[in-house]
This record gives sequence, structure tokens and C-alpha cells, in this order.
Amino acid sequence: MSDLAQGFAEALRLLGRGDAELWSIVLRTLAISGAATLLAMVAGVPLGYALARGRFHGRTFLLALVNTGMGMPPVVVGLVVWLLLTRSGPFGGLDLIYTRRAMVLAQFLIATPLVIGFTAASVQALPPQLPDLLISLGANRLRTLWILSREAKLGLLAAVMAGFGAIVSEVGASMTVGGNLRGSTRVLTTAIVTETSRGNLPVALALGLVLLLLAFLVNLVLTALQQRRAR
Amino acid sequence: MDVTLERVLVFRGGRSVLDVSALSFLSGTTTAVFGPNGAGKTTLLRVVAGLEQPVRGRVLIGNAEPARDRGPPRAAIAFQERVFVGGSVRRNMELALELRGVPRADRAGRIAEAAAECGIGMLLDRPARQLSSGEAQRANLARALALRAPVTLLDEPLSGIDRIARTQLLDELPRLLATFATTTLLVTHDREEAFRLADHLVVLVDGMVLAAGPKSLVYRSPGNRAVAELLGYTVLTHRDGLVAVPPSGLHLGHGSPGFVLTAERVVDMGNHMHLIGRIGPVRVNLRLAPCTTPPPPGAMLDVHAPGSVPLP
Repeated sequence: MSDLAQGFAEALRLLGRGDAELWSIVLRTLAISGAATLLAMVAGVPLGYALARGRFHGRTFLLALVNTGMGMPPVVVGLVVWLLLTRSGPFGGLDLIYTRRAMVLAQFLIATPLVIGFTAASVQALPPQLPDLLISLGANRLRTLWILSREAKLGLLAAVMAGFGAIVSEVGASMTVGGNLRGSTRVLTTAIVTETSRGNLPVALALGLVLLLLAFLVNLVLTALQQRRAR
Repeated sequence: MDVTLERVLVFRGGRSVLDVSALSFLSGTTTAVFGPNGAGKTTLLRVVAGLEQPVRGRVLIGNAEPARDRGPPRAAIAFQERVFVGGSVRRNMELALELRGVPRADRAGRIAEAAAECGIGMLLDRPARQLSSGEAQRANLARALALRAPVTLLDEPLSGIDRIARTQLLDELPRLLATFATTTLLVTHDREEAFRLADHLVVLVDGMVLAAGPKSLVYRSPGNRAVAELLGYTVLTHRDGLVAVPPSGLHLGHGSPGFVLTAERVVDMGNHMHLIGRIGPVRVNLRLAPCTTPPPPGAMLDVHAPGSVPLP
């Protein structure tokens, strides 16, 4: 209990003091996970749409694959990315291992199945004739997709939240491919692991609280967007 | 605007679902596309709307090909499923007009007019997806009619709505179409709807046009057994060949063509007696005057069908 209270006090102190290292870790965490989420949306939304609407061979198989991917252990993804990017690996020449880009790549791979899965589910919940209605009214392809996304807004924002939530809180992949280098690839989760292993429990707890707060603020904004009523 | 189909063939799942060699819908007419379920009626509408590509042949609206030409669509379609985007009826109509390029300044007036005519003026601010079936169908119609398109396509406009709402809408539709629509194609599997709403008839079975033309002409000369039965005729075998007897076309007594009816039972309907029996293998019925003595089951009666049509 005293550890908890101490951790809480430490968190307030660190935040109040405007600890430079803490802030840089927070911003780095946001930048890496934000970029990975954005890329996952760019790739996952069209794929989810295609999976939901498409009538092709192997569609059920692909959906099952995606649904499995939604529960993929991050550390396994991290391991695979590490094997690909490590100096002696097939993409070792790109010199990406232990960089923020490698972390973005790993987090992107974790978030994309979530985005695809949520998108497919929310698109399948729309009336099946909706695209035909819009096309018959004269909407071009882009406009049709835009209106459909607006119609599927609840599910698409749930996709963003699920994707971002999964990667901002994962530690296995970030640790493996980022290496937790201070001032370069250290993010909130890896910092928590470091402080815990050093026995700095109040600091670890403080970082945990900051992580929760960060996740809460991002979700608050997304939820507000999601729940805004259609005119 | 005239709508013309030339040698149109549509395939789905490796099977032909529509095969029309030549068919035209004249400007200003209302045509009912009539036929059983799965006859290709909706496919015909979708092809005219440009939503489906024929593998062969072409569809012309005026002189444009909607499936191939880029440019503003010319047909307004009201889907049987009554699809709406989220939000109010007004938002749905607004979006439709916007997508059709109607200037913002004109939209409010067009929406108010179509909504008032269709009887949904007071529902404009209600969420479209929460309307009752009858209200939703009116909103669906209002959205399509507000476009004032050269061709209006209605897919089963009276299906799936309760009886009272259906009766009212059946009454109002001809006036609405006269006000807003020029050339109208409506799909129905209901004979009464087809005759009450349209002046031309296209009978579609298994993707093929079995009959087409002004409705009275199609009705008076059904041409073959399938069309006759769809139009409500009872087809009987006479010594000169097949004859199609219109509904309530059988009368007691001798005449031409004459048949022998075996009575089965009689139902008292209050204002008349309803005699059910058989002519050969075919089950038929016949109206008797109120207080006639009912023939006993198994009685053989002479009947004739003066208004019947010989079939080839």
C-alpha cells in the first residue's frame, strides 16, 4: 500500500516538475505508437473493407487468419521482426534494428490485424445495399468510401482505439526490436520494465500511471469523436 | 426519356439471369415489370440503373449508356430494402440531392415539396432508420422522386408494408408518379399492383420476356400458358385446345366453350355462394347467386366461359 501511495506521489512529482526525460519518453511513446496506428489504419481499413464486401475464394480463411492475428502475442511479432532486421538477417542491410522505425514496424504489424478485424465487422454491420444506393445517386468511388466510413464511424474509431491501446501498452516487441536504448528507443513500457528490474518501484509505478493517463486522454478524444451524434 | 435494351445478357454465378433481345420503355409511360420471384426483375432495374454490367448488349437511356458513360446518372432507384444512411429523413434526402448536383439553395424547397406530396412532411426530422415500414417506404419514394430523374425505378414499392398503409399508398402512387416521374419502371410480383399502377406490362420469367406491351393488350392475348397463369387466368383443356378462363369467367349453363364441372363443396359467403369443384384435373371455382340450392358433392354441372381466350 505504501508503495502504491509512494508511486502515486512520485508520479505527481515527476509530472509536476516537468521532468525532461519523462516528457521525452511520453512524446516518443506517442509518436511511435501514433505513427504505427496511423499506418495500420491506412493499410487495415481498405483491407477490412475488401474482406467484408468481397466475394472471393478463401475469404473465410483470410478472416480467420485476421481474427487469429488480433490475438497475436506481441513478443512473437517482435521476434520475427528482429530476425528479419537483425544485422545478419535478410533485411539487416537496412540498418533498422534498434531504431524507432523498427518499433513502428513491429507495432504496425500488431495493430493491423486489429484494425482489419474491427473494420470488417463494422462494415458488415452496414446495410448491404448502401454502396449501391450511393453509386446510383452518383457518388464516385472516393465519395462512396468516405460516406461509408462515416456510416461505420463507431466501428472504425473502435478500431483506432483497439489498435492504439494494444501497441501503446505492449512491451515485448518494443523491447526486442527497439532495444530500450535510453534517449532513443526507450518508451513508457520499456522504461517501466527497466525501473522495475532496478528496484525503483515508485518510479516504475509512476510511469505506469503516466501510461494509463496517456491512454485515457487519447481514448477520451477518440470516444468523444465516436459518440458525437450525426446531424 | 426512352429506355431501350438491346440484346442484353446478364450472367451471375455462371448462369444467365437476364436475357432480353429487345425491349423499350417509352418516355412518359409507367411500366410494370411483372413476374414470379427470381425472374430477373430486380436485375433488369439494376441494369437500367447502371449498377450491373451486361456481359453483352447495351442499355440506352435517351441516347446515353448508363453502364459505360461517365457522367451524371439518369435513373433514380428506390430499392426494395429501403436503405438509408444514419440520420434524419431530411439528411437522407439532402445527401441524395447533393450527390445529384442540385445546388444547395434549391434543396430545401425540393425536399419540402417531395416530402409533402409523399405525406412525410412531419417525419423529415425523424431518424430514417426508425420509421415504420409504411413510413420508410414513403421516405424511400420521396427521396427517389425528389431527384425528378428522367427515369424512375421502383423495386417492389408496396412489399413488406402493412395492409392499411399499402392500400393508401396504392391509391396515391399513380398521382405521385404523374407529378414527379416521367418514365417509370416498377417491379412487382403482384398482379393487382401491376394493373393498378402501370399502363404497360412486361412479363418476365426466368430472365426472359414472355410478353410486353400495353396492359390491356397483354391481358387480352396472353399468348401462352405461363403468361396466362401469371395474369390470373385458369387454363383448361377443351376439345379445340387450351383455353384461358379469366377470374370469375365461369358461368352455369350451356355455351361456348362448354365444360363439365364436378362439384365438390359450396361455401356461403353471405352475399354470394362460392362453388368449388374440378374440371378434369384443374380446380376451379364459380360464383352462384345468394339463395341458390347448392348442388350436392359429385354433381356434374354444365358450365361455359364466354370471356375466355384460346391459347395456341
